[in-house]
Amino acid sequence: MATAGEALVRRMAAGDREAFGAFYDRYAPLVYPLIVRIVRDRSDAADVLQDVFWEAWQGAGTYDPARGTPEAWMITRARTRAIDRVRAVRRRGETFVPPLDEGLAAAPAEAGGDAAERAEDRGLILSALETLPQPQREVIELAYYAGLTQTQIAERLEQPLGTVKTRIRLGLERLRDVVRRAT
Amino acid sequence: MKSHETFDELAAVYAVGALDGEDLARFEGHLAEGCPLCAATLRDSGEALGRLALSGTPAVPPPEVKAALLARVAASRPSRRAPAGAGWVPWAAATAAAAVIAAMITGGLVASRYEARLGQMARDTAAVRERLQRSEAALRDQVAVYRGAVELLRDPATRVVVLHGAGPSPEASARMIWHDKAGGHLFVANLPPAPAGKAYELWTLGGPAPEPAGTFQVDAAGRATHRVEPPAAPPAKFAVTLEPEAGVPAPTGPIVLASR
Repeated sequence: MATAGEALVRRMAAGDREAFGAFYDRYAPLVYPLIVRIVRDRSDAADVLQDVFWEAWQGAGTYDPARGTPEAWMITRARTRAIDRVRAVRRRGETFVPPLDEGLAAAPAEAGGDAAERAEDRGLILSALETLPQPQREVIELAYYAGLTQTQIAERLEQPLGTVKTRIRLGLERLRDVVRRAT
Repeated sequence: MKSHETFDELAAVYAVGALDGEDLARFEGHLAEGCPLCAATLRDSGEALGRLALSGTPAVPPPEVKAALLARVAASRPSRRAPAGAGWVPWAAATAAAAVIAAMITGGLVASRYEARLGQMARDTAAVRERLQRSEAALRDQVAVYRGAVELLRDPATRVVVLHGAGPSPEASARMIWHDKAGGHLFVANLPPAPAGKAYELWTLGGPAPEPAGTFQVDAAGRATHRVEPPAAPPAKFAVTLEPEAGVPAPTGPIVLASR
């Protein structure tokens, strides 16, 4: 069965602007905090947000429900673009990888709409990341939020590449388990 | 047969976006073979990471982002070409008005000279602004085309079809990046610009008769990019003919490019 989000993407693919407005209202509050968390600059984050939704409008026809929910589709897109931005800035030498324990400090607290409905899951999944053994949590954060590659993580942590890979796999397996149980 | 365990690990690293070097090439090769295990791992990991990303504190995005997007979307379809001057006219008018008022306050003899100079400056500035907005819009369109193409290439179902020059333009060549559900992007090179009143028209060949797939022009260097919506039936071949500028429902002109 198609979800409301999938229906919106289908209408966008057909050029329906109203659907795009509704799609934005539904997903922007979800992906914006992630972008802020990754790029750590509000005006950069607003730029990235705009790019991400513009691409979603143009790429709506390529969305394939078999490969994931619209939510995951947007999150992947937002994360990729945000990391691109961080890497570009990092190449210019203007910033460095933020320390890990700043962790979740980036976004302000203003809940609404869809976001609020997910409050229950949120608690569960957030604690899932927190209950990961520190080495697994660390590698996932460095990869997913700071955009480091496996090689860079290995160098930074002074660990063999194989260890980094194993930690990522174990951490991700555990996260998948938690999500599977929560849904 | 080799154990799949290595790929489980590579899939996990790929899912968090950290795979690089030879591992990346190796895994993408494996993925391109259509491994269902890895596809499932990636899908589940994507969902899990998505949920994790959503588990942060929600934040309200700045309202101007939505306003800017809706304006872009309104300008993007169906014409795809927004009038480039729309944004600057009121601004230029306001600037000119300010120039006039400033001139009046200065008064007397100098007033008219200032007015003329400020008016000129306002016109120059407006012209520069207009040029910048045009090139920005053009660049954004171009980037959108390339991103669209790259996006398609990430999908294993996407194929690249080569079109060869034919008839009057043997030097021409083109590549179609095609996805049966999402349509495609045609990239043309070395095709001479169409004569006045003419345009190139793309055809998808799959059903009983060629289906028109839009007209396009090439630039002075003989290049063009053309976005194609997916037809009802997946096409087996593509061809380009030279036609009247408005396009025709069935081909009439010479074939200039065709896939084999």
